[in-house]
Amino acid sequence: MSALKNFNLRDKGAEIWGGWSRPVRTAFVIAVVVIIGLLPFAPSWGPTSFLNTPITSFENVLVYPVGMFVLMALGLNIVVGKSGLLDLGYIAFFAIGAYTQAILSTLYGWNTWQALPVGIGLAMISGVMLGLPALRVRGDYLAIITLGFGEIVRIVALNLSVTGGPNGIAGIPNPPTIFGFEFNLMYPEHFFWLVLALVLLTIWMIRRFTVRRPGRAWEAIRQDEDVAALMGVHTLVYKLWSFVIGAAVGGAAGVIYASKVMVISPDMFKFEVSILILACVVFGGMGNIWGVILGASILAYLPERIRFIADERQIIFGLVLIIMMNLRPDGLLPRKKREKIEEKRTM
Amino acid sequence: MSEKLLELKGTTIKFGGITALNEVNFHVNKGEICALIGPNGAGKTTVFNVVTGVYPITSGEILFKGENLAGKKRHQVTKMGIARTFQNVRLFGDMTALENVLTATDVHKKTGLVRSLFGTPLNRREEKESRQRARELLDFMGIGHRSDQLAKNLPYGDQRRLEIARALGTEPQLILLDEPAAGFNPAEKVALAETIKKIRDKGYTVLLIEHDMSLIMGISDRVAVLDFGQKIADDVPSVVQNDPRVIEAYLGVPADAS
Repeated sequence: MSALKNFNLRDKGAEIWGGWSRPVRTAFVIAVVVIIGLLPFAPSWGPTSFLNTPITSFENVLVYPVGMFVLMALGLNIVVGKSGLLDLGYIAFFAIGAYTQAILSTLYGWNTWQALPVGIGLAMISGVMLGLPALRVRGDYLAIITLGFGEIVRIVALNLSVTGGPNGIAGIPNPPTIFGFEFNLMYPEHFFWLVLALVLLTIWMIRRFTVRRPGRAWEAIRQDEDVAALMGVHTLVYKLWSFVIGAAVGGAAGVIYASKVMVISPDMFKFEVSILILACVVFGGMGNIWGVILGASILAYLPERIRFIADERQIIFGLVLIIMMNLRPDGLLPRKKREKIEEKRTM
Repeated sequence: MSEKLLELKGTTIKFGGITALNEVNFHVNKGEICALIGPNGAGKTTVFNVVTGVYPITSGEILFKGENLAGKKRHQVTKMGIARTFQNVRLFGDMTALENVLTATDVHKKTGLVRSLFGTPLNRREEKESRQRARELLDFMGIGHRSDQLAKNLPYGDQRRLEIARALGTEPQLILLDEPAAGFNPAEKVALAETIKKIRDKGYTVLLIEHDMSLIMGISDRVAVLDFGQKIADDVPSVVQNDPRVIEAYLGVPADAS
C-alpha cells in the first residue's frame, strides 16, 4: 500500500517524456489526440465495447458530463490548483456562459460562434466583479464569498423573467455547421470534437502560462502570498487574472453546453456541481493538468457507467472517492515535482 | 558627505498600546554596509517591515532616494529598489532554486500575462535574459549546482544563500538581510562575510540585522543600535563597541551602579 502511495506516475512520465526527441514527442501527442478523438466510436468496436454506458449513450456522456467536466476542471485548476484560491462558486461562470448563449440565440438570433466570445467576455467581466472585492480576503473567507456568488447567480437566474425563471430557456439552437461539421442530435461526436478542441486550446494556454511569468507569480502566491508581494509580484493583479482566465474557460464551456442540450434551467447550476468539479481537481491532483483531466474523466464517467445499479450508485461513487483520497491524498497524479532525477541521487 | 539612500525620520509605529519603534531617526548611505543591532525585541525586524511596506507607520517619514515610501504597496517598494531576506527562511519551497530567483526577476519585466500567452519576441527575450541572470546569481552565491532542485529540499545553508540570490534577483539598490548568518558555523560565517562584501562591491547597498558581533564588527561601515524601539547609538563599529549605553542594553546595568 505504501508503494502505491509513494509511486509518482507524474515523475515517471516526465522521465520517459524527457528521453524522447522532438519528432517522437510530436508523434506521441498526435497519436493520443487521435485515439481520444476516436473514443465516440469505442462502443461499436468489440474490445472496447465494455466502455458503453447504459441509459445515456456513450457519445453523449463524452460531451456531458465528461468533456464539460474536464474543461471546467481545467479552468478551476488555474484558480484552485495554480494560485491556491479556493473557489466554491465556479459553476456561476458556466451558468453565465450558458445563459448568454441561451438569451442571445433565442431573443436575438445569434448563433453559437457569435455568442461564444460574448459569453467568454461576460464570464471574464463577472470574474473581475467577483474578484476585485473578494480577493482582498483570504482562505476561508474567500471560499464563503465565492460560494455566495455561485448561489447569487443561480438565484438571479431563477427569478428574472429574461432567464425564464425556474423553467429556464428552451429552444436554444445547435451551433451552425462549421468546417463541414454538422451539429445536431445525429452527430454527438462532433460536439465531442468541439469540446476536445477547446480542451486542447486550454491545455496549450495553461502550459504557456506555467513556464512563464504568470505561472511563477501564481505559484509564488499559492505558496506564500506575503513573500510573493515582497518579491515584487503584484498579487492582486495576478490573483485577478487567475480568476478571470478560470472564468473564461468556464464561460466557454457554458456556451457550448447550452447549444448542445438546447434547454437550460437554474437547477443545472447548483452548488453541488461546483463541489463536484472541485472534487475532480482534488481527486486528480491539484495543480497538475494531466491529473485534473484524468480525475475529471473518471469522476464524470464512473457514475454514468454504473447507472444500472440505480440506488447504490452514489454510495459506490462516494466509497471510491474516500478510498482513493486515503490511498493517494495528493491526487491520482500529484503536482509536478520538477526535479531532475540524476541530481536527486547525488543528495 | 555621502548620499543618503534610505532615511527614516522620526519613524514611529504602534501596535495597540505597544510602541515598537519610537521616533527613530536613521539613515543608510549609498554603497555602505550598515548593521542594525540590538537585543531581542528591540525592533530591528520591525524596521525592515516598515521599510518594505509590510506595516504602515504611525507617524514620521521613510524616504528612499528622496521619495516618500508612505502608502506604497509592497511590490511597489520592491520595484523601487529595496529587496529583503527573512529571519526565518521563507522560500517558495515547491519551486526550484532557479524558479525562486526567476520569480524575483519578473518585477522589472515589461511583458505580463497576455504577451506571455502569445509569446511575443519581447517576452521571449525577457524570459531568456532573466534565466541567464538567475543562473548568474545562483553561481554568484555558490549554489549554481542546485538550480534544478526544489527549494525545500536544499540544505539549510543553501536555503539562506538562495534567499540572498532571490533578493538580488529583483535588482535592488538596497538589500536588507535579516540575520543572514543565523545557524551558520564559524567557517560559513567567514564565507558569508566575504559574500556580503562582494555584494557591496558590486554596487549594492547593504543593511543587515545580525547578532554575531565579530561578523558585524568585521564588515560594517556603520552600526546602529536599537533598544526598546529607540535608537541608542549610530557610529563606526569601534565607537559603538565601547558605548556605555550599548553595553548596558546588551549586558544590563551592574548591580552596584544603582
